[in-house]
Amino acid sequence: MWRRMIWLVLVALVALAAFIADLGTGPSRLGLGGALGGILRPDSLSGAEAAILWEVRLPQAVLAVLVGLALATAGAEMQTILDNPLASPFTLGVSSSASFGAALAIVLGIGIPGVPQTWLISANAFVFATIVVLVLQAVVRWRGSGTDILVLCGIALFFTFNALVALTQFLASQQALQQLVFWTMGSLSRASWDKVRVLALVLLVTLPFAQRAAWPMMALRLGEDRARSLGINIARLRLMALLRVSLMTSTAIAFVGTIGFVGLAGPHIARLLLGEDHRFLLPASALTGAAIMSLASVASKTIIPGVLIPIGIVTAMVGLPVFFSLIFNRRGTV
Amino acid sequence: MRRLVIILLAVIASAYVTLAALPAAADEGVVVTDITGRTVTLPRPAKRVLLAEGRQIIALSLLDPKPVDFIAAWLGDFRRNDSESYAQYRRKFPEIDQVPVLGIGSDGTFPVERAIEIKPDVAVLGISFAPGGRANDVARQLEAAGIPVVFTDFFVAPFEHTVASVRILGRVIGRDARADEFAEFYEPRMKRIADLVARANGPRPRVLLETHASVGDCCHAPGAGNIGRFIAFAGGDSISASVAPGPTAQLSLEYVIAANPDIYIATGGAHLKASGGLVIGPGFDPAAIRERLAAVVARPGFSGLSAVRNGRVHGLFHNIISTPLNLVAAEALARWIHPEAAREIDPDATISELNARFLAVPLQGVYWIDLK
Repeated sequence: MWRRMIWLVLVALVALAAFIADLGTGPSRLGLGGALGGILRPDSLSGAEAAILWEVRLPQAVLAVLVGLALATAGAEMQTILDNPLASPFTLGVSSSASFGAALAIVLGIGIPGVPQTWLISANAFVFATIVVLVLQAVVRWRGSGTDILVLCGIALFFTFNALVALTQFLASQQALQQLVFWTMGSLSRASWDKVRVLALVLLVTLPFAQRAAWPMMALRLGEDRARSLGINIARLRLMALLRVSLMTSTAIAFVGTIGFVGLAGPHIARLLLGEDHRFLLPASALTGAAIMSLASVASKTIIPGVLIPIGIVTAMVGLPVFFSLIFNRRGTV
Repeated sequence: MRRLVIILLAVIASAYVTLAALPAAADEGVVVTDITGRTVTLPRPAKRVLLAEGRQIIALSLLDPKPVDFIAAWLGDFRRNDSESYAQYRRKFPEIDQVPVLGIGSDGTFPVERAIEIKPDVAVLGISFAPGGRANDVARQLEAAGIPVVFTDFFVAPFEHTVASVRILGRVIGRDARADEFAEFYEPRMKRIADLVARANGPRPRVLLETHASVGDCCHAPGAGNIGRFIAFAGGDSISASVAPGPTAQLSLEYVIAANPDIYIATGGAHLKASGGLVIGPGFDPAAIRERLAAVVARPGFSGLSAVRNGRVHGLFHNIISTPLNLVAAEALARWIHPEAAREIDPDATISELNARFLAVPLQGVYWIDLK
């Protein structure tokens, strides 16, 4: 218990350090001292520096943390409800459907009428991700909540939407194709305070419920029969978890594009450090995800100064070494 | 800068010499040296050309009053990516709709079988189909089927290849004199820009040219290649040329704010209509264009840039860049980058003269604009 507490605090400190590092890096001369000073005393910065801090650095750094929290929490819940360590928030086709929604907006300009242009792509991505969730809900209600049927349906949806994305790519002009490819690689350059607010609200709504479901989820981890004998309504538990996962994932993807690996590796790293207890696993996963995102954001800004490398590429590059070292240093099973 | 001008002139001269040294005697067919240096012999000037870059209809339009008659088949890029210009051509030549479309505009979708079936007199391919290019199998297959292949280039090296490519096309369809006339029109005007830039003193103004500018995330900008070279040619210091590792890169907004460009130029066209980006070119009136341009520079972080504060915000029609009309883009850039020194340069006058003397379908619309 104490050991887990200490690990949790350590992970939180790493996440905080990564966030501060993210705040202090960028292609301009505004360093960490200047950035922190600018937050505490807004009048200490010049106009350009203030614009860099409040329009670029802060929204991107905060959004990176929120996206990390959302994707890694969603990943941890997904791995439990599907009883599969290889599951991630994208397993059931939520990401490919969101990509298709974005592709429709980017390539064909098709979107929800009345949505302002700046939100069109995000709104489309969100709507399509939600469609997939509704289909999965229907499956759960109709055929019960067996993991096999869910995963098979998810895979079918994944391939369906991937094919549709490929079709729009095939039809796209070169310019739209470039935009679409960049979108699917994920980027924090689309950060804004509005998006930060929306994602923060989603997390405020979902995270407490995820934490409250930690105990029955823990029981589910031990096997369906055991969970049933404890009087847990498994179908309902899966359905609610699926709802949380989808809401977090689709909102995150809608704002930053598809950023892989965080939702898979965050929970795993947390599990390797703290074990299976969901009450600790969830916050640790979330903080690990935030740390991975912040570090990836630092790398995406600094590898080629002035140019943003899509963060989806970087998350894997940053997370993989950590992931490998944990796997190989661990005795026993993953 | 002087060196660039000298290189430019040397290249133009050498292209001229190689082409002039090949007499086109009627009895021994037409001999063409294409942009990659291959020598191709056609039995007679081509009547039916396969255009692998649909937008090169503009080059044909410079050379002959009935450009559509020469096109046996073409790729769909012009129809798809520049719908408004295509509509201008359709108004004058309704039969353009009947020209067979091969593929949808990218070299990866080229249906070779269909091309062989159409059996054009010659296939004019862009440089991406050339040996070592992305799609060089196409050229091999066409030649195996007995269709002569000629390479032109208006994209990779516009300064070296534009005039040479127009001459190659002129030679292919038997319009050499007309191609020479265009060269005489084009070269002095480009030289005028180079001279003026050479005379301009003081530091080069910093320029951000954002390609396909939208209201979404910032800022896709060119590297040191193709469009990036136009900025350097017109005397600007492109803030993206030194940092972009490839032909194009996404700059971070922070870098843009820190670099604080003196001049901001957005490129766009009808293809950005749906996504809320900059529309410009045929089919759009100045008020609509300015409204979109204002929205582009109203994105977060732009208001403090000196380009925006000093009203040096401009829009350019993107598709004019990789055609022989890139002269208009070069002139507009020179005006924006050196407004004092380039006072006498007037892209609109150039457009009027191109319309009067050369183009089968005149340029009608706003191809370059100032926000203020």
